[in-house]
Amino acid sequence: MARGASGTGRSTAGILSGPLLWLVLFFILPVCFIAAYSVGGLHLLPTDRGAVSLDAWRRFLFGGSVYVGLFWKSVKVSLIVSVAVVLLAYPVGYFLALCVRKRKYVLLLVIIAPFLTSYLLRVLAWKVILGSNGVINTALYQLHLRQPDHPVEWLIYSQFAVMLVLAYVWIPFVALPIFVSLNNLDGSLLEAAGDLGASRWRTFLRVTLPLSVPGLIAAFVFVFVPTIGEFVTPQLVGGTNGYLFGNAVNDRFTKALDWQSGSVFALFLLIVVAVLMAVFGRRVQMRSVQT
Amino acid sequence: MELAASRGGLWILRVFFVLLVAFLYVPLLVLVMFSFNSGDVTFPLEGFTVSWYQRAAQNPALLSALQRSAIVASITSLLAVALGVLASYALVRRVFRGKAAFSALVFSPLVIPYLVFGISLLVLFKALDKVLVSLTGAYLDVGLHAVVVGHVVVALPYTILTILPLLERLSVTLEEAAHDLGASPWNTFWRVTFPLLMPALVSAFLIAFTLSFDEYAIASFLAGTQVTWPVFLFAQLRVPSQLPELVAVSSVILVVSIGLVVGAEFGRRRSEGRVGIDLS
Repeated sequence: MARGASGTGRSTAGILSGPLLWLVLFFILPVCFIAAYSVGGLHLLPTDRGAVSLDAWRRFLFGGSVYVGLFWKSVKVSLIVSVAVVLLAYPVGYFLALCVRKRKYVLLLVIIAPFLTSYLLRVLAWKVILGSNGVINTALYQLHLRQPDHPVEWLIYSQFAVMLVLAYVWIPFVALPIFVSLNNLDGSLLEAAGDLGASRWRTFLRVTLPLSVPGLIAAFVFVFVPTIGEFVTPQLVGGTNGYLFGNAVNDRFTKALDWQSGSVFALFLLIVVAVLMAVFGRRVQMRSVQT
Repeated sequence: MELAASRGGLWILRVFFVLLVAFLYVPLLVLVMFSFNSGDVTFPLEGFTVSWYQRAAQNPALLSALQRSAIVASITSLLAVALGVLASYALVRRVFRGKAAFSALVFSPLVIPYLVFGISLLVLFKALDKVLVSLTGAYLDVGLHAVVVGHVVVALPYTILTILPLLERLSVTLEEAAHDLGASPWNTFWRVTFPLLMPALVSAFLIAFTLSFDEYAIASFLAGTQVTWPVFLFAQLRVPSQLPELVAVSSVILVVSIGLVVGAEFGRRRSEGRVGIDLS
């Protein structure tokens, strides 16, 4: 090749500079800014005052703050949602990857397509279904299973509603990594297990399931991470019982105008996600989200 | 012997699949149904009408929100595809120090909570304004430009994930041949690599477009007074009288976006298959 090493190096730097510059300026730098804000190193609102200190962090972590409890509530909700979603999506991924021969990609697309529609719209759909005059309450009334003036209230504006809607929203996305990991499974391994006398259950538990663990972890992480910072669904169907940590972060910025505490909460959330990715990241194939 | 499931097991899986598809689609169908209902968005249904669609088409605030989202999504996807091509090219074709770190960086927007990212960018733009005001007296403020900046970051990993596999499969010998025949790197890219990558680029564009068009969390912090469609939709959801119109517009978007993405996916698979055969 005539191309000189230094020339290639220079052009590589040229190719890299665009994406790198964009991400450093608009992804890394903003995170550094909220880090600075959280310790009082940055003042943007008239109400911001005080020198650089860890006070806001200390108040949040050790001051008996209600927000720590709220954070654990969010963790619980996200955990339940992620586990439920993975459990629901696994049989579908298994079915499509290992049991369907013809048109498996078409059927996969049928599962994934709702994910490509508006998020707000899908939440709105559940508001219509779960509401006091919604589909379920109307049906219960028509079937004489409830009194005219006593709709089932806990259907909407509850933690249950938040979890149901979040699960609904994320199932299509999660089916993908599970399908990919099962679809890439070497079929001859299943045959070998069968030939050696393993039953289907044993084959599943000893061969298929362990080999699909990377897909399962990817699926779990891809639900847990966005739901732990969720604030839109609780606002629409959560009511006061469904109020989550994400709502507290949002309110610090939009209602309370206490950006310093907000930055503390936001950065805390980011650190939790970063730790999670450091633990599981090596086992998560980013590529598993692609079809 | 069927290895993956017994006959009974297969039936259970089949039924489960059908139930899950119903669970996913029934709520959407209910919503579309209400967009043709002459009453409000509650049971019982009244009569059939298309008046909500007509009213939506004459609502100026709604139309300008849609227009803003279309502008933001177009610019976002052009930028995200351009940066995605560069990043993919570097990851597939070049060897450089810090490649693993670069790869981790470009994919990390996949796992940042959008809430946190939106807030961070808001703080960045406000801090920039503070500097600008003290230096020049003018300021930039948030707005559609800020939304584009944020959307490009979160769309970038998706465009890379779409472009990367095709680029990996394109044989490097074609680019080398062009180079040996005297084409400049620039010419090689535009005349050889770019046309071959076209199917992936179209699909990446559409994915970025749908993502940006529908994105609420980041836009809610960065749009300011220039509300995009999701921000408008969210604000209007509290006004029950507006609901049927919003549902009507959403139904149109739903059908168009599913059609576009499914079409792009089929196009990409077909042409990728063709490229694979041609080059093997």
